[in-house]
Amino acid sequence: MNDWITIAIPKGRILEESVELFGRIGIDCRELLSDSRKLIFENAEQRMRYMIVRATDVPTYVEYGSADLGIVGKDTLMEQGKDLYEPLDLKFGYCRMMVAEPVNLAKNDDPSGWSHIRIATKYPHVAETYFASKGIQVEIIKLYGSIELAPLVGLSERIVDLVSTGETLRQNGLVEVESIAEITTRLIVNRASLKTKYQRITEIIQGLERELQSA
Amino acid sequence: MTMLSPDISLPRGVSDFLPDAAAKIGFIEAKIRHVFELWGFRRIIPPKLEYEDVLTIGMGEELKGKTYRFDDRQTGRLLAFPPDITPQIARIVATRLSGWPLPHRISYSGRVLRQTESQTGRSRELFQSGVELIGLDSPEADAEMVTMAIEAMQQLGFDNFKIDLGQVEFCRGIMAASGLDGQPLRELQEAIARKDVSAVSKVLAASTVTEASRREIAALPRLFGGREVVAEAEKVVVNQRSRSALANLRQVLDILDIHGVSDHLTIDLGEIRGLGYHTGITFEGFVSGLGEPVCSGGRYDNLTARYGFAAPATGFTFNVLSLLQALERRPDVEASTTRDFLLFNSRDDRREVLEVARLLRSRGYTAARDIIRREYEDSLTYARRMNIRSMLIIGDEACGNDTYTAVRVRDGKRFKITREMLLNEDLVTFIEENQQAIEN
Repeated sequence: MNDWITIAIPKGRILEESVELFGRIGIDCRELLSDSRKLIFENAEQRMRYMIVRATDVPTYVEYGSADLGIVGKDTLMEQGKDLYEPLDLKFGYCRMMVAEPVNLAKNDDPSGWSHIRIATKYPHVAETYFASKGIQVEIIKLYGSIELAPLVGLSERIVDLVSTGETLRQNGLVEVESIAEITTRLIVNRASLKTKYQRITEIIQGLERELQSA
Repeated sequence: MTMLSPDISLPRGVSDFLPDAAAKIGFIEAKIRHVFELWGFRRIIPPKLEYEDVLTIGMGEELKGKTYRFDDRQTGRLLAFPPDITPQIARIVATRLSGWPLPHRISYSGRVLRQTESQTGRSRELFQSGVELIGLDSPEADAEMVTMAIEAMQQLGFDNFKIDLGQVEFCRGIMAASGLDGQPLRELQEAIARKDVSAVSKVLAASTVTEASRREIAALPRLFGGREVVAEAEKVVVNQRSRSALANLRQVLDILDIHGVSDHLTIDLGEIRGLGYHTGITFEGFVSGLGEPVCSGGRYDNLTARYGFAAPATGFTFNVLSLLQALERRPDVEASTTRDFLLFNSRDDRREVLEVARLLRSRGYTAARDIIRREYEDSLTYARRMNIRSMLIIGDEACGNDTYTAVRVRDGKRFKITREMLLNEDLVTFIEENQQAIEN
């Protein structure tokens, strides 16, 4: 069992794109797309194991070595700051981490003059680090979803969140005022796995790298 | 009804180690210490308390931030619990042992405390067993450390493990040649630590480093793997400092070939973790299935000088609790938690039972007396809970003179055993494998 590779993948769009990408380097994991409630899948012939976990749990499974590899958004990695290798940008799932505020506020607002602001976000650590690096005091309100609602009901003046098309922002009367980071999906690797299984893992990394470059 | 009990909880990040776990830790430490002794190392025991300002002379920024500090009422100075034993050894070598001939071969085995972030579930108390080899700058000294680590891992029963070698000067040479500093340098170092190729390209795209330096930096996140990595690195790297580092790594690898341990080696030239005081070859030990390294170490040629005695040095330490996590289910480690005999006396007179106990102990078996007066069945339950493998009943009615009843605790099977048979080689196995149970 020792040279098996276990990959932690979150459900949803990342899963579909990952299955497609791995398929291109000969790793067949289409079984993951079935409607099963199983959380763990094995492919004995290819000595691969797949775990379906929550996106925010992917780094944890990989950090502790329960999974050798993981596929997860850069936003989650930035928020959790875990000690992991992050050798490959898989390029899909593009979006931006940004600061947004209501259109009315933005009209006369100057971000360089901010000194004490209130931010609602799913990403308290990212928000805090970003504003601290600019010397801005910030009060963070941690939410778990529908972040765009917060400024509309006066919970906070501004939000830090992900935006891809900008449609949700527009429909809720918000505009982006500052961009924090560009987000894509990453391949992450457990430190011990990279050393103890480096041949198989290097093969996977190099295979994916070639596919991504030719795409 | 609810009972209000007083708060008798423990702080987070520390544990009580009950007999089974403590026995396993003792077993692991003894195996490691034995290897250290075989290589001629001698143990020293540094204090658990030092002046903070003395301790920090030998520590990097990261460790300083993890040190527990408090006031000394006697002097008003700040005291600290050591978060790492190496700076203590450096101090001892520079002061108490400064007149002794070199090299020093020193080992230690102890506990250190480190602040950890809350909720990470990490232990604040680390069990370290390590060595320092002081006074040698030779590649043979580096190879000695790596080989000892491998021998100890083998003694502990690992087969699928890797010692990952790095050379901090290689990376530093590339960083220095790039001319980068400040924020871009920090970003670059973080990206390299994560092996994040895309972030490395991003930093490079925004900078004005030379083409040669650009090639060196871009190669760093992928310079890991087997022996071939050294040749790959030689192709890309042009700066003198990194080239010397590679030459040094080659020398160490050649000596490791002679030691016959090369199968266990991997190389990672992009590894910049480790402690601030490292100056040359560094290494970490990894076993499959465990996310963190079980041992780490490397060369630190400038550390003892900070305490006033310049000497090249190298060393490494095992993280005993990581080893415990990796090993605790192995049969030989499990076996370290067992005891041999519980002696149950059916007579009022205790003369014979104490005499048998003495006999067993003199033959090297552990023998505990079940002093409490209780039913045999209760004693058997006790023996099971305490991981005792056999019971001996003295004065059983069915037995004649100089004959006892032996009980295999695992399944309660009983056998007659004569006093003569107690002198058998490996008595416990004899009882455990005996097929001739007697009917009650």
